[in-house]
Amino acid sequence: MPPLLKLNNIGKIFSTPQGREVSALEDVNIEVEDGEFISLIGPTGCGKTTLLRIIAGLETASAGEIAIQDNQTGASSPLCTLVFQQYSLFPWLNVIENTAFPLEMRGIPRRSRIKMAEEYLELVGLAGVENAKPYELSGGMQQRAAIARALAYDAKILLMDEPFGALDERTRHRLQDTLLEIWRKKKKTIIFVTHNIDEAVYLAGKIFIMASEPGRLVEDITISIPRPRNRLSEEFTNLHLKIRNFLEKAA
Amino acid sequence: MLRRGAAGIDSANSIMGKVFTTAQSFILPIAFLIVWEVIAVILDNPALVPRLTAVIAILVNPFSELIGTGSLAWNTIVSLVRVLAGFAIAVIICVPVGLAMGVSKTINRLVNPLVELFRPLCPIAWIPFAMAMFKTTRVPQLFGVRYTDTILDSVQVGMLFIIFWGGLFPILLNTVHGVSNVREIWLETAKMLGASKVKMFRRVILPAALPAILTGIRIGLGISWMVIIAAEMLPGSDSGIGYLIMYSYELAEMDILVASMVMIGLMGLLLNRGLQLVSNRISGWTALER
Ligand SMILES: Nc1ncnc2c1ncn2[C@@H]1O[C@H](COP(=O)(O)OP(=O)(O)OP(=O)(O)O)[C@@H](O)[C@H]1O
Ligand SMILES: [Mg+2]
Repeated sequence: MPPLLKLNNIGKIFSTPQGREVSALEDVNIEVEDGEFISLIGPTGCGKTTLLRIIAGLETASAGEIAIQDNQTGASSPLCTLVFQQYSLFPWLNVIENTAFPLEMRGIPRRSRIKMAEEYLELVGLAGVENAKPYELSGGMQQRAAIARALAYDAKILLMDEPFGALDERTRHRLQDTLLEIWRKKKKTIIFVTHNIDEAVYLAGKIFIMASEPGRLVEDITISIPRPRNRLSEEFTNLHLKIRNFLEKAA
Repeated sequence: MLRRGAAGIDSANSIMGKVFTTAQSFILPIAFLIVWEVIAVILDNPALVPRLTAVIAILVNPFSELIGTGSLAWNTIVSLVRVLAGFAIAVIICVPVGLAMGVSKTINRLVNPLVELFRPLCPIAWIPFAMAMFKTTRVPQLFGVRYTDTILDSVQVGMLFIIFWGGLFPILLNTVHGVSNVREIWLETAKMLGASKVKMFRRVILPAALPAILTGIRIGLGISWMVIIAAEMLPGSDSGIGYLIMYSYELAEMDILVASMVMIGLMGLLLNRGLQLVSNRISGWTALER
């Protein structure tokens, strides 16, 4: 069976208004199997966001091709969605309406979509702020609401762009576990961008390490430590060091 | 350096502080009124500078008949009805056209040259044109009725036309601006969450552009209010607050003239404040967003 998602020699060149050309991505080859948990890690500006946007269809690649086996995902559920790095809640809607937005788009009646949205909010630990407006929430809470909203969309592939970047360590760890649980229960495929080595090693089955100028993949590492992973185990710390070395070379 | 935190409330919030800050905003207006009254007493010429008491007497009895032209209240209401009717037409036409221009580049390219052509033209410059075009046709006559014995008998089509022009550009341009400046991330988010084109428009573009649209409506209404006064001051007009000003000028009734001016200012203030309240209700998030 072909992989769920296959990127073939993907390249992306941005031309700035001043006529300068930036090579954001060069020759990126990635294969993602159904149900995998992938982490992308790399220095700032190496093209992680650009890569996710190309997969999401928000940006077209300047070179290469991308193949998604949509027949594997089942016709009823949508293919993929992207959780943005920046705040993306709709400020004119309150938290519950934001979370229910994808359900509303699907035409689910108000009463049942509110009920479903409540469950997703509960899942990310946001029960109790349903009626708050986004600007009344802290940055971390806004990001959690955005995750709940993306989960409500129930896409097969979840593209997540540094979703936990703004959170404190405790919340971050709790949400990592929540995410793993959702991934396992709902059989999602996740591509997760992070700066945080610990996070990548804790979550992913496979880590792609990227380097910048031009943005490219330099290494992929498969992690077979069984979950839940112990951050203090030798295997874990060894991997952590190994990835740090790669990143230092890449920078 | 040592900085102390203010204990509890800062001075502007304490009761005495509040009284002082409120008092501050009354100092100059009161000084102005005193100077006015002093000059009026010294000149002792009501045809030049009326006594405040005379002006206030008219303002507190808005329903009394004045110089055979109806009361102050009646003329104010006539002007208001004209403005609200003409302005409603402007909103009904300009908001949809602006939305269409904001959403579709093609429509924008088609309509924009026309906008650029007419925009530099001050709406007041349309008044003689409207008078020539529509003469004194009144709204009921459009429907083949001579008199309805309602306030509509005082609403001339030409006036509606002028008010429409007053509201047109602020509403149209702010709507276009609002739609074309909806943040990219909101559009992309909606797309990522399965919004169809129609739902994207209704649930994202429209609410995101609404604050700008309301601003356009507020500015447009202010301009329309100025334009109607100008239109009513021209010959051929027979009612309205602008007419009352002009007529009291001809009769050298300065107290009525000044009272009418005060009324115009009050109404303008009221319309603006009213719309501001509505707009804060609907688009409060713009101010609070970080
Ligand atoms: N629209 C654009 N126009 C021009 N250049 C762009 C554009 N978007 C991204 N770039 C450039 O492409 C490169 C990769 O950007 P990208 O946002 O993908 O990086 P990133 O890995 O997500 O960085 P970070 O970790 O800081 O989020 C950068 O050099 C950036 O300046
Ligand atoms: Mg990024």
